[in-house]
Amino acid sequence: MSAGDVLVVAETRRGELREVSRELIGAGLAIKAASGGRLVVAVLDHEPGRFVQSLSVDGVDELLLVPTPNEHFEAHVSQRALEELIDAEQAGLVVLAYTIDSLGFGPAVAAARRLGFASDVTSLTWADGPAVTRGAYGDKLVAELEFPGKDCTLVMLRAGTFEPAPEGSQATATRTVELALDGVAETEHLGFEEVADTGVDITKAPFLLSIGRGVEDKDDVPRFEALAERFGATLSVSRPLVDAGWMPSARQVGQSGKTVKPRVYLAFGISGAVQHLAGMRTAETIIAVNTDPEAPIFGVAHYGAVADLFEVADELEQALE
Amino acid sequence: MPRDPKYDILFEPIQLGPKTLKNRFYQVPHCIGAGSEKPGMQAYHRGMKAEGGWGACCTEYCSIHPESDDTSRVSARIWDEGDVRNLAAMCDRLHQFGALAGIELWYGGPHAPCMETRATPRGPSQIASDFELNIFPRYMDQDDIDTVQQMYVDAAIRAREAGFDIIYVYGAHAYLPFQFLSPFYNRRTDKYGGSFENRARFWRESLEKVREAVGDDCAIASRFAVDHLLGPISIQVGEDGARFVEYCDDLVDLWDFTVGDIAEWGQNAGPSRFFEENHEKPYTGQIKAGNHTNKPVVGVGRITNPDTMVAIISSGQFDIIGAARPSISDPFLPQKIDEGRLDDIRECIGCNQCISRWEIGGPPMVCTQNATAGEEYRRGWHPEKFHPAANREKSVLVVGAGPAGMECAMVLGKREMSAVHLVDASKEIGGCVNWISQLGHSDGKDNLFRGSARGLGEWKRIVNYRQIQLDKLSNVEVHPGSRLSAAEVLEYGAEIVIIATGCHFATDGMNAATHTPIEGADTSLDWQLTPDEVVGETKRVGQRVLVLENEGYFMGASVAQKLAGEGHAVTLVTQAAEIAHYMDYTLEAPMLHRDLERLGVGIHTYTMLEKIEPGVCHGYDVWNPAHKEQFEVDTVVLCTARISDDALYRELKADKGRLEAEGIEGLYVIGDASAPRMIVDSIFDGHRLAREIDSPHPEMPLPFIRERRLWGDSTNEDFRAQLLNTVDVV
Amino acid sequence: MKIVVPVKQVAALDDEFELLDDGSGVDPDFLELDLNEWDAFSLEAALQLREATGDGEVVVVTVGDDDADEALRGCLARGADRALRIWDESLDGADPLAVARVLAAGVERERPDLVLCGVQSSDAVNGATGVALAGYLQMPHVAVVKQLDFDVAQSAATVKRELEGGLVEVLRVRTPALLTIQTGINEPRYANLRAIKQAREKPLEVSSPGELGLDADLVAAAAGSRRRELKHPERGEGAEMIDGSPSEVAARIVEIVRERMSG
Repeated sequence: MSAGDVLVVAETRRGELREVSRELIGAGLAIKAASGGRLVVAVLDHEPGRFVQSLSVDGVDELLLVPTPNEHFEAHVSQRALEELIDAEQAGLVVLAYTIDSLGFGPAVAAARRLGFASDVTSLTWADGPAVTRGAYGDKLVAELEFPGKDCTLVMLRAGTFEPAPEGSQATATRTVELALDGVAETEHLGFEEVADTGVDITKAPFLLSIGRGVEDKDDVPRFEALAERFGATLSVSRPLVDAGWMPSARQVGQSGKTVKPRVYLAFGISGAVQHLAGMRTAETIIAVNTDPEAPIFGVAHYGAVADLFEVADELEQALE
Repeated sequence: MPRDPKYDILFEPIQLGPKTLKNRFYQVPHCIGAGSEKPGMQAYHRGMKAEGGWGACCTEYCSIHPESDDTSRVSARIWDEGDVRNLAAMCDRLHQFGALAGIELWYGGPHAPCMETRATPRGPSQIASDFELNIFPRYMDQDDIDTVQQMYVDAAIRAREAGFDIIYVYGAHAYLPFQFLSPFYNRRTDKYGGSFENRARFWRESLEKVREAVGDDCAIASRFAVDHLLGPISIQVGEDGARFVEYCDDLVDLWDFTVGDIAEWGQNAGPSRFFEENHEKPYTGQIKAGNHTNKPVVGVGRITNPDTMVAIISSGQFDIIGAARPSISDPFLPQKIDEGRLDDIRECIGCNQCISRWEIGGPPMVCTQNATAGEEYRRGWHPEKFHPAANREKSVLVVGAGPAGMECAMVLGKREMSAVHLVDASKEIGGCVNWISQLGHSDGKDNLFRGSARGLGEWKRIVNYRQIQLDKLSNVEVHPGSRLSAAEVLEYGAEIVIIATGCHFATDGMNAATHTPIEGADTSLDWQLTPDEVVGETKRVGQRVLVLENEGYFMGASVAQKLAGEGHAVTLVTQAAEIAHYMDYTLEAPMLHRDLERLGVGIHTYTMLEKIEPGVCHGYDVWNPAHKEQFEVDTVVLCTARISDDALYRELKADKGRLEAEGIEGLYVIGDASAPRMIVDSIFDGHRLAREIDSPHPEMPLPFIRERRLWGDSTNEDFRAQLLNTVDVV
Repeated sequence: MKIVVPVKQVAALDDEFELLDDGSGVDPDFLELDLNEWDAFSLEAALQLREATGDGEVVVVTVGDDDADEALRGCLARGADRALRIWDESLDGADPLAVARVLAAGVERERPDLVLCGVQSSDAVNGATGVALAGYLQMPHVAVVKQLDFDVAQSAATVKRELEGGLVEVLRVRTPALLTIQTGINEPRYANLRAIKQAREKPLEVSSPGELGLDADLVAAAAGSRRRELKHPERGEGAEMIDGSPSEVAARIVEIVRERMSG
């Protein structure tokens, strides 16, 4: 392997390939196209063979199947496995997802092997070496990073940064890599728990559907509640609806309500008063629907539509059926 | 921080006749309890707004003659040279800060009972006032009309002498000129009655004469209720309203539009409980929209939000943003917008406490959000300036983050105390405001008349503002979710301890009327509730509910509204002549009564309970206790009295030796924990203690200036000398 | 028992802020400094463990300039026993790996039973320093812990890892170990005025990498990245507008949402 070679580490959980793995492959393909190197995808799993089909993507040169002794993810095992792969494959760029599991071992690998390192990366390109940007001060600013003197850089890529690579037309070449991983685990898996929902905390919701003054009638609130549920979102509101008593203040986003930073903030009929923006402007993706093209919320939104919110809501209801 | 360019439109000057208004922030005429006889209060209260950037500030209604006397309500007066001298103080102070001074020349007719002057008011027809009790005007013949018009002229000339820039002929709120215009008052058959031109004649002539006298030097304004809200029997915007504007457009330099009258003034000075921001738009907005005027227009509607202000001007609804209450709540609103400090704006909550004092007749103004309103002169308090406390090296613990505690901690923080810790047992600060602001709704349906119950949500701004200010103060830490015992307070390490732990509702029916508990009253039982339990929905409420209210403000009635709105059969009982009497003063009563009537709430006045049993309450007529009445109900809500939660204070106070040993030099109690009161007074209490924390005996309020006649000669200094503390008002 | 709690003084941007002319950073006048929110939780976890076992020492460590003393005093006021601050100019702008390398030197000499870090800092949001530190210390580690039960006698901890989508994994790890602690694991206490005053007398040691036996080249080599430039995000003219009929708008919204919510 050489400087332009990319090693992608796929993620699995409870026997399923995690969606983000295909995004990592998409990233790898993009880098490969620019660097002219090889793209190798590693899967560390108790039965790595079961993922060959879903990881077979056109453009991937090789799939490394690394069997692990533990049934579930174990940080120290993954750490040792990746360290050995890095030593063996000598890739210039190692790509992990910025996820809970990867956070558990990626930085330790980078430390142990003195790699270049960047976390929560929001753009990744190749210019005679990896070129990376990430957020600074919670995404209010953007930082460009460089990795002087590093032969190998490990990046942890934020979900949604790349398109997932489509399933390939044929099976990719595979190689099983047997590593000495027995006795490496330092933790013992005792089980999983599903956590029940114990009441609304909009600050923890990853997807908020938020309504404001544009929803002029209290009687229209339930349909947005239903839409939110259908969409997999939590309903939140701007202050006027709380002032009017239509919703409890626990749902209020804004300076005098809660500050939220969801992945997606979908705002219907919210004009974007300063006090409201203060509560949601650092959301990762803001989509605003408002009839007023001058509405201040369009200044902070990533996507906007000047449209009638009820008509759009109607269409969404149909689309989500 | 620079001004956001989208607010530039609010800072564009506009010409009013011979005068230039420097921006679009205009304090419309409003009462403060100062008049011409408290010139210090008048000048300094208005001056504070000018300092804060308002382009023009007006007096309250200003009587042009002793025949227009509203005692005990306080109006200004411009009867003689003494009044000129006193009101000139206001003009000078406004001019000092670059604002125009406006005076609203007022003749009340039968609405002014003349209880001080004992004069006889005149009116267009002899119909008794629909606002005052038993006051009849003398019918005006041509001589009377000439005489009264001359009163306007003479008053205008005195006004110019005092330094006023804008002179109103005031007809809104159904005062004299409007009484001529409206067939509701005017049944004349001469040239001043009947047709539109005849009815408009008095007002038009008055404007002409005033304009001729002072129009070259001063801007002539008129305050006009474009719609009386009484239908065809009076002025409607779509008929005589717009027509009158067109008819007199040539005579004014500024129109100031309102709706309604003084009999139901709450339709104009709409409380937030029933009216949203910019609520007059459907009426006052029609004038410019229909191209009925070529002159600048100022209008109101409890407009508090800068973005609403921009929209109003951009859309052409008004040219100038008029405000009374928002200017009381935050005299520095224009400056804060100019400086990009929007989150420092202290928004009016529409509680109408300011108005209530005028309605009561006599007391000075107050403001829930702004404890310095009315105190600018007599205590030297400035809403934005707080000189550092002389004992600021001390640290302070404030226990309880309700209205009093939050205000106290905030002001102590602004006075640079070395460390202020504000602690509250609850996870959210705000105290009683958090649950009270959830009241005020009924069933969400419209009332037959304007003003549907939209709730007290805006009262939450009390908390919002203080939360933001407390966050900004680096010497203040706020710790919610922490209930302190007396031991923890003693060990806390503060030299000054302030207890602001609020109050609770009496559980046994104790009340101000009988001074005894009610037999069988016990809110520990699951079918008897206190108001906070109703809001907290901690107990089941049966279908038939009796609410007993002895306090006389909003609590009992609001609980009745909520439960009736949710479908319960509610009976509301009070020993007083009417329910929620104080709401007459806050102008909320008419809409409240309409709502309760529509909801079918059974109201029983002059009634008290003597016994409560499961399923039945035993009442009696207070005038004839032998006359009994049984109320069969499932649930009883007792709003009879509140009791201070002062156990912590008493426990700490009892052991002076221990306080000393722990280095606690001052122990104080404020707000409801001291004595239950209205929120406006709790906030004041906390504010005052913080302002005077470095006086020799902070628990005792320092003297304030009383503007009264001193025997012999007196100077302004004689009055100033009454203040012992350092003033923050220059 | 000894618990080391690495902490960070983080910077929050004022609403109106300015970048330095050379793009190297934010003008410090516009930064508000505070203890990292996550560290309040990890410190609280440490204090609760000390109280549960009846004895023990909680030591807070930070890599930062003297502005960070305020955060350390705050930790001492809440109950930490000792504080250590490590700094020299070469650490300005250090990345997580360099910070972890330096922290490792400070932590090692304490020989802790537990090292509790916050999952991430609110300003840099790398989420990496804790696990990198574990890498340097060669210590067993678990990241994103939302519940912790420490069995002193067994020298082991049962922890719950917070995974995506509300899933939780229960694990057991032997100590000494390093855990990164998630917010919400406990209710951090606050310091009363007495404790704040008394904290002024507690030991706060200031050291440097050199004094801890790290030579400058070693630290420089450990760095994983260097920031070339800091700039405003490209916003273009505001939002990317979605045109078309309501059904087209709705379709695009669904597409965007699905894209963003995946993974």
